[in-house]
Formats: sequence, C-alpha cells, structure tokens
Amino acid sequence: MQEFDFVKAKSLDHACTMLAGKRGRAKVIAGGTDLMIGLRNHRLSEEVDTIMDISGVGELAYIREEGELIRIGAGTTHAELALSSILWEAAPVLSMAAKSIGSPQIRNRGTIGGNIITSAPCADTVPALLVLDAALLLRRGESVRQVQIADFFEGPYRVKAAEDELLLEISFRRLRDGAKSLFDKLTRRNALAKARMNIAVIALQDKNKVVKDLRISLGSTTPIPCRFTDAERLFLGKVPRREDFLKAGQIISSEMVEKSGYRWSTDYKKPVVEALTAAALKRVLKAE
Amino acid sequence: MKKIRVSLRVNGRIFTLETDPNRRLIDVLREDLNFTGVKEGCGIGECGACTVLMNGKPVNSCLVLIGQAEGSEVVTIEGLKGKNGELHPLQEAFIEAGAVQCGYCIPGMILSAEALLQNNPHPTEDLIKEAISGNLCRCTGYRQIIDAVKIASKKIARKE
Amino acid sequence: MSYKVITRPLKRIDAREKVTGEAKFGADLNFSGQLYAKTVYSRYPHARVLSINTEKAEALHGVEAVITAADVPGENELFGRFPVFAEKEVKYTGDGVAMVAATSKSIAEKAASLVEVEYEELPAVLTIEEALAHGAALVHTDAPGNFIENTHHLMRAGDVERGFEEADIILEKTYRTQFVEHGYIEPEVVIALPEPYRRGVEIHGSIQNPYSIRENVARALNLRISEVRVIPGNLGGSFGGKDESVMLMAARTAITALKTGRPVKMVLTREESILESAKRHSYKAKYKIGARKGGTIVALENTIYTQGGAYNNKARFANWRASVHAAGPYRIPNVKTDLYGVYTNTIYGGAFRGFSAPQVVFCNESLMDELAAELGISPKEIRLKNCLKPGDELVTGQVLRPGKIPAPLKQMIEEVCSRSDFDRKREEFSAGNSGDEPVKRGIGLACTFRGTGLGGEGIDTAGATVTIEKDGSVNIVSNLNEMGQGMRTAHAQIVAETLGISYGRITFSPTDTSVVPDGGPTVASRGTLAGGNAMLIAAQKLKERLLMEAGKILNCSWEGLVIEDEIIQYRGKEKLSITFDELIPRCIMERGLTLSAQGWYNPGPEELDPETGRGNAYPSYIYGCAVAEIRVNTLTGKLDVDRITAAYELGRVINPQIVKGQLMGGLIQGMGYGIMEDTETKEGYLITRNFDELMLPTSLDIPEIDIILYETDQNIGPYGAKGIGEIGVELSAPAIANALFHATGRRVRELPMNLERVLLGRALKR
Repeated sequence: MQEFDFVKAKSLDHACTMLAGKRGRAKVIAGGTDLMIGLRNHRLSEEVDTIMDISGVGELAYIREEGELIRIGAGTTHAELALSSILWEAAPVLSMAAKSIGSPQIRNRGTIGGNIITSAPCADTVPALLVLDAALLLRRGESVRQVQIADFFEGPYRVKAAEDELLLEISFRRLRDGAKSLFDKLTRRNALAKARMNIAVIALQDKNKVVKDLRISLGSTTPIPCRFTDAERLFLGKVPRREDFLKAGQIISSEMVEKSGYRWSTDYKKPVVEALTAAALKRVLKAE
Repeated sequence: MKKIRVSLRVNGRIFTLETDPNRRLIDVLREDLNFTGVKEGCGIGECGACTVLMNGKPVNSCLVLIGQAEGSEVVTIEGLKGKNGELHPLQEAFIEAGAVQCGYCIPGMILSAEALLQNNPHPTEDLIKEAISGNLCRCTGYRQIIDAVKIASKKIARKE
Repeated sequence: MSYKVITRPLKRIDAREKVTGEAKFGADLNFSGQLYAKTVYSRYPHARVLSINTEKAEALHGVEAVITAADVPGENELFGRFPVFAEKEVKYTGDGVAMVAATSKSIAEKAASLVEVEYEELPAVLTIEEALAHGAALVHTDAPGNFIENTHHLMRAGDVERGFEEADIILEKTYRTQFVEHGYIEPEVVIALPEPYRRGVEIHGSIQNPYSIRENVARALNLRISEVRVIPGNLGGSFGGKDESVMLMAARTAITALKTGRPVKMVLTREESILESAKRHSYKAKYKIGARKGGTIVALENTIYTQGGAYNNKARFANWRASVHAAGPYRIPNVKTDLYGVYTNTIYGGAFRGFSAPQVVFCNESLMDELAAELGISPKEIRLKNCLKPGDELVTGQVLRPGKIPAPLKQMIEEVCSRSDFDRKREEFSAGNSGDEPVKRGIGLACTFRGTGLGGEGIDTAGATVTIEKDGSVNIVSNLNEMGQGMRTAHAQIVAETLGISYGRITFSPTDTSVVPDGGPTVASRGTLAGGNAMLIAAQKLKERLLMEAGKILNCSWEGLVIEDEIIQYRGKEKLSITFDELIPRCIMERGLTLSAQGWYNPGPEELDPETGRGNAYPSYIYGCAVAEIRVNTLTGKLDVDRITAAYELGRVINPQIVKGQLMGGLIQGMGYGIMEDTETKEGYLITRNFDELMLPTSLDIPEIDIILYETDQNIGPYGAKGIGEIGVELSAPAIANALFHATGRRVRELPMNLERVLLGRALKR
C-alpha cells in the first residue's frame, strides 16, 4: 500500500478549499472501488501526497427531480441509483446500468461520480449518461463550470478535468413521454464482471413509427466513449426498416475499428458490436 | 505520512485508535481489534470474503480506507451472535443446510445474507442469488448456501 | 442393515466455529515477535541469475533477514526439482530468488522491492509444441526433449492395429485443456517458529499434505524428519493446490525462523498465490477411435502431452491415473495409450481435484459424441452400447465381477436420461433451434468412472487414533487432513457407529505430524476410504476392549455382547447390561486400561505390468453420469447452463448432505473449468493475476442441480463407502461441450468454452 496523508472533507466547501490549497497534490477518494486497487498496485502518481475523502459529504449524495431535469449528486452510490424510483421512471437506462455493476458490495460503495472520473472503457454508467446527454457540473475553488459529458473524456482513464477540480453533479432531462430506453451488457459471468461491451439506447417514435429521437452509445468500443451519430441518423425521421438494425451495427463496428485500430480482440468484438446493436435496436424500435 | 485518529463502532462497541492512514478497514478490524472473522481473499473487492456491514450495508472492507470508516457503525461476523452466545438464525441455518465446507467465505456470505434479510425477510431465490453474488465460494457451488438463507428466512418469520 | 449414525445428514463437526467466525485460519494466527516474510520473484520466464544484491534491502530499518539460496543449510532442490531459491537460473516467473523478513508487512514489501537481481535472459519454451520442437531450448539441461522424468505412462490392451482394421469408421481428433487455478478463497499462509522446547522447527499454515512438507523442509534445513513438526490449520479450501508452493514457503520461512530465532509469517497476496501455486495440467490430447457401423467401438489410440511447467512432482502420478482412464468407462478390446509430461518455462501443473480426470473425461466424452454424430446414432445409444457392464473386462485386465466391483453405469445412464427427459428435449431443442432466434438450447450427456484411492500410484495407507476419555468424550485424530471436504465429520460418524455411541460424544484434534505417524497425502478422494478405514479399525479395537471388560463385569462371554445406543448388553438378555457411561470410568480408573487405539489401514500394493500398464490398477471404481442443459447466444458466444442432472455410484453414503455438497461443489467447479476459467499468459508472464480476471462462477451463474445417489454393497471402504471428493468435477465440461454441439452444430475442442471460442471457434491471444 502506498503512503499518503489523509484528510476527510467535512463539507463541499471544505473539500473545494482543500483541493485548491493542495494544487494538484491531493487525490479524491469517494467509494474507493477503483482508487483502492490503484493504491494497492502502487499506481498513485508521485505528485500526490494526500488522499481527500469525500464519501462523508452528504451534500454530494442526492437524486432530485426539478421539472424535466434530473440532478444527481456525484457522490450518489450505484446502489442508490439502482433503488431510486425517480430514476426508474425518468431514466431507466441509468438505473439498469447502475444495477448491473459488480456486486452489492461494490454498488454500496462505488459512486456515479467515481465511475465518470475513473473513466474506465467498460464503465457502465457512461454509455447511459451519454445517451441521456448528461451535463456535468464541476467546481474548482470558487469557480463552477458545466460541461457536456460527451466533451469530458480524453481517452481511456483520462478526463478533461484539472487535478483540483471536483465533480459535483450530473444532470439530464428525463426521457420524453413514450421514449424507450435500454441498457445491455455482455460479460464473462453474471456477477462481479466488467462489461466486455455494453450498450445504451434511447429511442422515441411517433404513432406512425417515425423515429423522432434515437441515441446509441457502446462502451469498451472506442478509446473515447461516444454516441454513434452516424448510426442514429440512419433512422431519424424515418420508419425503421429491419435491415437497418444490422446496418447500424456495421456502421458502429466500422467506426470502432477506425477509432481503435484492429486489435487482438477485434475479430470477436466486431461481429458482437453488430449483434448487440441490432438486438438492442430491435428491442426498442418498432419496425415497418 | 501523518497518523490519523479514528473512532468507529464495531459490533456495538466504540473503538478509538491512532493509525497510519494507508491502512484499510480490514487491517484494523483484523490486526488491531482482533475481529479475525473478517477474511481476506483478494484485496480488490472481487471475492467478498472481507464483507462487513457498514452502516447496515454490506461492503468489502478491503476497499475502505480506515479514515473513511470514521464515525461509522460496523458489524462483523463476531457481532451476529446473541448476548448469551446463541447463534443467529442464519448461523443455525448454515449449519443445518450443510452450507459450510471450508468455511472461509462463510462470514462474508452470512453478512451479505443478513443485509438482505434485514431489508427483505422473505426473499425469492433470485434475490438471494443476487444478494450473495459478490461473495465467491469455491467449495459448495452455492446451492446449499441458498437453501440456508431460505431456512433462515423461515426461522426469522417463526420468531416474529 | 440399519445404521444409527452413518447414512444420516448430521451436522458437520466443525460447522459451529466456522459460522461464528471463531475458526482460525493460518492468517489469523500470530506469535509474539513474529517477522513478516515476502518472496522476491523472478522477473523473467527464463534467465541466468548474474548477481543478487541484498544490501539496500538489509539496510532498511526493520529488516531482520534477507535470504537466498546461499542461506539454505541443506538441499536447495526439493521434490519435483523445485528450488527453495533459484540460484543460477530462473525457469519461470514464479521462481523465488530471495526472501525478506521484516518487523512489519509494509517494511517487508518495501524491502522486497529493494533486492537487486541482475539477469541475463535466456530463450524460453512456453508451450507443449515449443518444448517438443526439434532443437528446443531445455528447461532442465538434463531432461532431454523437455520430457519430465518418470511421466511416460502407457496402457496396451489387445492389438490396436488389428482393431482399426476391423473398424468401419475411424475418427481422429485433438483436444486441448487449459491450466486451471484452484481458486480456493483463502490464499496460502505459512508460519514457522523455532521449536520452543527442543531443537527443530514447528510449522503452521494452510498445508494440505503435512507429511511430505515435513520431509522436504527437513531436507532443506538439514534436520531429521522428527525435528520438524507440521500442524496444518483450518484450510480455506485446497483442492490439491496447497502443496508445492506451500512446501517452498515452509522451507523458506523455516530457514529464516531458525536463522533469526523468531517466528516468521508469510501470507501470500492473491496475485502471489496465482503466480506461485500449482495449476491443473494443461493437456494436448490426440485421439484416434475406430468403430463398427452399428456403433461398437473396436479400437482406441491416444497420445497425450501434459504440460508440467518449470518444475513438477505430480505428472508422474497424474499421468499414470490418466493411463488407466484414458479409454473411458467403455469396453474397448484394443487400446494403446501413451502419456508424456512436458517441461516448459511457465506456471506448473500439480494436483487439482480430479487429478487428470477433468482433462481426460472432457476429451473422451467429447470424442464419444463426435463418434455418435459420425455414426448417426444418439449420444445415449453409443454409451449404452459400449459402457462397462457386469462381467466386462477393463482395459487394465480387471474383470467387473458382480459382488467384487460394481458396474451400474448402464442403469445410471438410463435413469439420468429419463429423469432429465433427454430424448424428448434433444428433439424439442433441435426443433426450436431451427428458427432465427439467436439463443439456442442444447442438451448433452457425459459419463465417467474413477478408480478409488491411490491404487497403483502409491501405498494407500492411513492412520487414526481414537481415544475415549474418562468423561466419555471420544477424541479422534487422523493423519489425513480436513480441507473443507467434511472428512472429519465422516470419520466421527464412522467411529460413533462402530462404538454404538452418539455422534455428539466425538471431538477431533487437528492433524499433527508429531502425534500420528505418516500415512501419506490427503489426495485421491481417500479421506473417507483409507482414513475412514483406519478410524474403523481403531474403533473396532476399542469396541473389543470395551466388550471384554463388560464381559468380565457382567460375568458373561464377551462374544455375546453388543453395543447399541450406548448400552452394552448381552444379546436377548436385557438384565445383563451396562451403560457406556458406567463402563468407561471403570475401565480407566479401576482397571487402568488404555482406551486409546491406533488404527492402521494398509490395502497393500497393487500389482502392475510395466510393459503393458495392466494389472490391478485400483481395488474398485466409482461411476458418474450427467446431463447438462444450456442456452447459448450464437451472436455473442454467451453460454449459460440451465440444469444439470447427475447420478453417482459411491458405495455407501456416510453423510448424504456432505456427499451432495461435494458433488454439487464439484459440478460447479467443473462448470467454471468448462466455460469460464483460464490462467492466461503472454510470453511467459501471467495475465490472470487476481480474481477480477480468473472468472470463478458466482451465485448468479449456477444451474439447477438434480443429483441421484447410487449405493452398492461389497466395497472396500468403511461400511462400504468409497471416495467422492473428486468425481463431481469431472462431468460438467464434457456434458456442456456436448450440449453446445447439440445447440449449435459446432464442436469446441479447447477449454474453456468462453465467449470467443464459442463464437469464433478459437481463442484470441492478448
């Protein structure tokens, strides 16, 4: 285990003041489900001399409904997300993603903020938040900024945030009436498993089956998690055709290969990305 | 590395200690407080042998820094027995169902089951499987453990 | 025959301590003044060690010792050529080159990173193919061809050439299995302390086989065997695994304990455990089988290479076991089998539940289905036609004489198939699979048989001491070891049954090498068979002693006395009786008798012909048959097992609850081996380092399980019991492979059947 000093943030202000004071020499711990493994494996950067615990900051743990807007504190645990009736009603895609994570023990500690900040390629809440077009609220010292989640990632395990910046909140609009959503995940076993790949989809069709809105995101697919807008455009404003489900999958798999290169796993991932996409679209979209 | 002062309640007793901040909850429970029923299997939260209840919820004590446990209420397997040494219904049920083989996963397994029964005294089989899905057992294949949780659920219902 | 104690699902003798957390495992023990030890492992799969500089590590405050091969007082090479410390050369990444001992875990960790080792990399052989290639680098320069010493075992029955001439159909297939980690949840622990009262060393820890470890530690320390005392604690699972690496840990810590005069504790991290401990041998098996059109098998030839890794002391035994079972539970007149162990610069093979059977049975039973498909008959039919029946001759030449060795396999196949509705589901699933739905269902069958005990592998002795105390409590101690399998409970039931007393009287003491003499290792499902027989013999001696004394007290001939329900009574004469509680104090306090007896079971050696491998390989055999039902997503390769129906013949069931627990646990371990678990390496380095990569089955992965137990009489074990520890693990993988073929029409001949293999038919290498 690496060595460090430990401070416990008493409040949000306290946390931000301390972070600002440490000028990048402090690392935040929330649920610890990722960071503790990093500490065990000596992966903490040598710059860092202090671990600041925000797990006790109650101000960061909430799920609120404000009109059309859903606001989630970054310190909310996966278990809290998975149990929230507000979420199951407003954005089941996120509830399903949270419920699928690791194990009860992991879900009781791991937080949505941590999932985003660690930004593992297989992070389950990330594709869900991408299709929800979530906005992130960050604070550095006294200044606060908002950024779209789609603009937040730099690469695997890298985000565009300063070392002394704290993620406060994730917000998004609730699903529109009649919208369907889905989260699916392929794993090597049925619990305690990282996603080999995961997929989140939101779809809205009018009564004539014309697609008004479609958002697709897959995890463990591209270096920077993203929505697949080319595939989405295939359906927008049209009545879906069955053959387009697989076509959408092929568009996504080509994009994957283009962005990630042909890797050891591509022989497997390419057909599976196509199949997962087609299967998910088939479930959320009514075709001709 | 500055030592920190931590107070926490374990199995109903308050402990205050000064310790290095890079120790985990499991280290303090096992080494300082002698609750050796908390077992270490992997150190990365993947086996659940170190499961304890923290503020009523099962967590992997290998993934909690001791400083994070400040002010919390922790229950280990040692905290389940009654005042006069009588076994908890889950402990009785694990014995009756033959759910114990090597026994190494059992403390964590029982605590995960306890958290389930606290919230849902009459869980379905699927909920039982879900509740213990973070606890690996290499001996039993889980079947007799699931049976034990069902038996415990009935025992608790009878007592109430 | 009606029994009072055996055949009942009594509570485990050690369950209470385990559910309360009071049971101590190795890591829970601490001794005053103890040091914490950590091994410095090799950085390369194969390299020359140029220099080891321990100065920086030794200079660290709190470091009490840094030891290397130079500090080994006795022999540095232990059984199977495992070095206590690699000296001139490292042969795989788990080799230890040094060990540090310090006053805290964190200092030990830091000190280990300060030991500087200079290496010169050497070419490494990492696979069976590389090891056997012409001109391959040698793992051990004195093991030509990289063949492991004493691992070529063979079986020759009939004339295999003539057999193939008679065949209408000949199939040739190659199967492969992976290295498999035991995945016991407790990582290895050893604590060595200088003997407090005499010269020598005392060793505690998660030790499966205390006697062989004692012998090896004595060799390394240049002590006499009697100067080493080994007391295994509660083991958090072992399955064959807590052996070679624990032997090395014991030697290293014992050396340091005697050098520093302090207790030395070593607890492995999970990563170290996976790196340094044995694995189930990886197999490459080439099979050729010939059959007549009607389905009668006429010849089988197989050549099997078992990957042994850098050092090995188990392939010499496991390959022999495989040679007896490599033709499966079938009557095949012409058989030619050869097995070879192969050295590689990789993690090494050892004992893992089944001891060659999980590999051999996967190959054999896959092959049977392939043959059935080729012949156009059902998997059930080909097995019913060829399976061993009463009166048949085994490949070893042994005849399955009714009353000697039972042969109920045909009946078991029929019952398992009818209980699982095999024929109907085969048709129903096939019909359902013809549509576009990506999820297909399949059902598959597999059979096995298993020689009981060690057989020709070694002398199958075991010892027990049973002691009746003056308060009527009865303590048992075996020289075989409890690892979770429930052996002590079975022993207690056997002793209580034999003495006619209640089970609650029995207590146990842990195995201790200085208390009971060496009876060999706790392996080969022999805990109940050999260990139980020793208990039975000891209890019978005591019973006889008690009856003789009772006879004197009651003034009657002791031959007419029986003990039942704790009352010693003359048959048919109620008045002529004395209770157990009355008798015991009189024996001990009035007559000065010892009510302690030792039981020693020795079935004698099995005779085998080295030219053909034939002979009395095992005194008896047990049988199993299972049907697995699966669902597989043909677009992703995700496979789930819905249901397993299995039958096992195991002589007499001593405790049905424990027996089912062993079988179900085995089936799930077998399922993990079949579809999930792998220990992947890249260029000789382990990629599977911890449980996040190992993929042991969770509670959400398990199928419904339905088990049928068959009991038979006239078996060699206590009350007719045989061993059941291992057979449970054997059938899942082949039954699932056969179900997968049924579902998809695709045969996977390599394990595990993970996402990639199921979808693409091959694994992907990172």
